[in-house]
Amino acid sequence: MKFKAIIHVRPKPEIRDPQGEAVAGALRTLGLSIEGVRAGKEIVVHFDAADLTAARAAVDTMGKELLANPVIEDYSADVAAA
Amino acid sequence: MTKRVALLRFPGTWSERDFQHAFSLVPGVETEILWHAEAKLKGFDAAILPGGFSYGDYLRAGAIAKISPAAAELKRAAAEGMPILGSCNGFQILCEIGLLPGALVRNDHLEFRCDWVRMRVEHESAWAKGLTGQFLRMPIAHGEGNWVADERVVAQVENRGQVVFRYVDDAGIATAGASPNGAIHNIAGIASGEGNVVGLMPHPERCAELLVGGLDGVSLLQAIA
Repeated sequence: MKFKAIIHVRPKPEIRDPQGEAVAGALRTLGLSIEGVRAGKEIVVHFDAADLTAARAAVDTMGKELLANPVIEDYSADVAAA
Repeated sequence: MTKRVALLRFPGTWSERDFQHAFSLVPGVETEILWHAEAKLKGFDAAILPGGFSYGDYLRAGAIAKISPAAAELKRAAAEGMPILGSCNGFQILCEIGLLPGALVRNDHLEFRCDWVRMRVEHESAWAKGLTGQFLRMPIAHGEGNWVADERVVAQVENRGQVVFRYVDDAGIATAGASPNGAIHNIAGIASGEGNVVGLMPHPERCAELLVGGLDGVSLLQAIA
């Protein structure tokens, strides 16, 4: 079966996010009232798996082994048949 | 006896030839540049992960290198006690593959810094022998040199003497202003628990002769000779 995973990788709450801070500063210069910004990334993966359980397991491997660094990042994923 | 040092090259590594040149100035050492995917460290006395932008720094600095076959080879060699040194991107790779604790994130001021820094040698390690308490001046060139870890890990590396190098000012004090990247406790380099694996953001290979502004890099490179 073909699957599509949308994986979000975010800096952990306790990790300072200089990129988010810079974006917040830039948004404030637009005259907006910005409290704070956290910047992460979205990774979209198209892949094959036997079923949804196997697809979720594969996405777990992707997240843990490569896409997120557990020291500084969390990730979450939406997995669905494509 | 001549010591053999492996210099690992990933796609995007840029400092392996500088290391090769710097080691050529250290008596009793010969080097070989190894392509990461074919790197076999048996028969070598030490390994270097030079700086650069492995895999274009895609995903995170050093991240994609961790799925290279070299990662398993480095883990095996590290477990056997081989002295392994990672500089700059090499430090980032060592953290990514879990041979060193913590991670290196964006410099707190968001700028890439190409400069000289001053460090104090805090503890003994395979790559800093008999230098404790001394000051070293080395060049840096990085955008992601801000070493972070959770409180437990920070306390652990401090208490176990794994902080090898700390950024200090001209007076030898680890002030916030002395750090080029915002790293916790001004940490510039750390060692593994056993002390054989060391990572640092500065470039010892770029200060191994007076022509380029300093000699302090030699003190690290000659540690394995």
